[in-house]
Amino acid sequence: MARVTRSGRSVGLILTAVAVAIVVAFSSSTRLALALGLAVAVLGVGATLVSLPAVRRGHPVATRALISVVVVDLAILLTFRVSATSDSNVAIGAAMSIVLLGLSFLTGSSGQISLGNGAFMGVGAFTVGIWADHHATTPLLAVLVLATLAGALVGLVLGLPATRLRGPYLAGMTLAFAVAFGAILNVFSSWTGGDSGLQLPSAVVAPHWLASFFGPGASALATSSAWLADISILVTGVALFLMANLFASRTGRAMRLVRDNDTAAELVGVSLPRARVIAFTVSAAYAALGGALWTLVNNSVSPSTYGFVLSITILSLVVIGGIGTIPGAIIGGIIYAFSAGAISWLTAHLGLNPQGNVASQLDGIIFGGLLVLTIVFAPMGIAGLVRRGWRRVRHG
Amino acid sequence: MIVVDGLSVSYGAVRALQSVSFEAPSGEITAVLGANGAGKTTLLRAISGLVSPLAGTVSKDGDVLTGRRTEDIVRLGVAHVPEGRGVIAEFTVEENLRLGFMIARGSLADALAEQYAIFPVLGERRRQAAATLSGGERQMLAMARALIARPSVLLLDEPSLGLAPLVTAQLMQQIRELCARENLTVVLVEQNATSALRIAQRAVVLRVGVVVANDTAAVVRDDENLRQYYLGMVE
Repeated sequence: MARVTRSGRSVGLILTAVAVAIVVAFSSSTRLALALGLAVAVLGVGATLVSLPAVRRGHPVATRALISVVVVDLAILLTFRVSATSDSNVAIGAAMSIVLLGLSFLTGSSGQISLGNGAFMGVGAFTVGIWADHHATTPLLAVLVLATLAGALVGLVLGLPATRLRGPYLAGMTLAFAVAFGAILNVFSSWTGGDSGLQLPSAVVAPHWLASFFGPGASALATSSAWLADISILVTGVALFLMANLFASRTGRAMRLVRDNDTAAELVGVSLPRARVIAFTVSAAYAALGGALWTLVNNSVSPSTYGFVLSITILSLVVIGGIGTIPGAIIGGIIYAFSAGAISWLTAHLGLNPQGNVASQLDGIIFGGLLVLTIVFAPMGIAGLVRRGWRRVRHG
Repeated sequence: MIVVDGLSVSYGAVRALQSVSFEAPSGEITAVLGANGAGKTTLLRAISGLVSPLAGTVSKDGDVLTGRRTEDIVRLGVAHVPEGRGVIAEFTVEENLRLGFMIARGSLADALAEQYAIFPVLGERRRQAAATLSGGERQMLAMARALIARPSVLLLDEPSLGLAPLVTAQLMQQIRELCARENLTVVLVEQNATSALRIAQRAVVLRVGVVVANDTAAVVRDDENLRQYYLGMVE
């Protein structure tokens, strides 16, 4: 990446200009034109960024920004190629990636464990549901920020006692929260809708100006599910960028020391309780953001979604993807995005009764199996396997 | 200068230190010697606040350290290099040093350059993972990480552990030079009494948590009784 000449920047600018021209020319036309335009734009923006002096000098923040932009662009491109059902799967998977990033930070960096991140997702999900019930016109971004803050607050409150707990005791406390979450929702049933949950008053759609700019042919913006997939991917990109910086920051490095050797961490001046609370709060905030996106995608929120099984699924996905790594969280999200389709495909091809016992437990069986295989054969998850393979290729 | 006054520490019913008192002057190395389980490591842990004593105080240049949190004691300029070193194997040399710099102010680049001048081998390997360092280099890294925040007190727990005799001799020489040049207060816990006494000005000998000798290193070195019964230094 470092060996791009100055001409790289001009090429980048030209490509960007071409992309804008294509999009404008076909703005009344099809999804394909939009996809083409975006593809060229990705190349353009990418080339421009690569040739930026900051990236050339290997400035890490610029590099991370570039990677995030490229990942987001590629993922959004994908949504132009898929159907509406797949769109919502992509959105669900992207949101799950955010949750996994949070847990990966908590477990992989600070060494704590949480079996309650499904409930933290629920905090964000219900924040969106309850808020939409009363203030339907709040901008999307504000709702997401609000849900994230709500998750952070709950994480902070639960994180304070957690600073005194380790290993199985901490797991037990977070498990208790995961199990109690449904009951807590029931206590406030006038707000949360009790067992039936809440329905959003209206589906989230692309803003009028954006849709009219691209014209009626831009079906990627016309349907709610495609728009939400793009939103989820965009938010995931931002979350990814922030987390990559956090991992590499002073705080991130200090966390790693807390995990590996807490005495050594104290001796370089790290406050262990503070580090643990920060990790817990960040992880809960990320989970809540993911949950908030889920509510938008499903257009409803139900307490049964945020049960204890979800927390276990989250932990399994983090391990399968690769604990403590950013690509691992993305891989986990992708697996989750496709798992629903794969499981219904399996149900059909194995000739199982879709309402039967085996079919309803199939996802648990598959995730459990994958988890065991990962722990035995690839303790660093798929991300670790890929990294090892890549090293072998490079060094022969 | 570190003043330890009447320090007692227990782990449950086990008394690890029993009213230990001594002074470690600035610009000098005070060796803390004794057999396994004599309480040497506990003494360092009590100074840096990792364990809280039952009784007694530790003070540094008149400030009482006892009762403060470790993170605050570290910020007061007490650097503790624990046994086993506590460097992160997967991090590079430089990343490990940056951890030590977290509590410091000023230019990181200058501070790094300073440590690379003291320990040139770390400069050569600054982009390498700490896992690839030898035992002696890791000990240097741990010391550099402690020194990078410019402490006035350096607590070293068994720096020679697992090192070859020649490497130990070099390391000890380096500790002595650092101590003199930076006017550090060095408290050096060692099982290897011979090499510790070679560089120390003062020596404290512990026996199951009790001070049995507190004198100049020369006196301890020449005391036949101490050598034989507590330090395992047989001719």
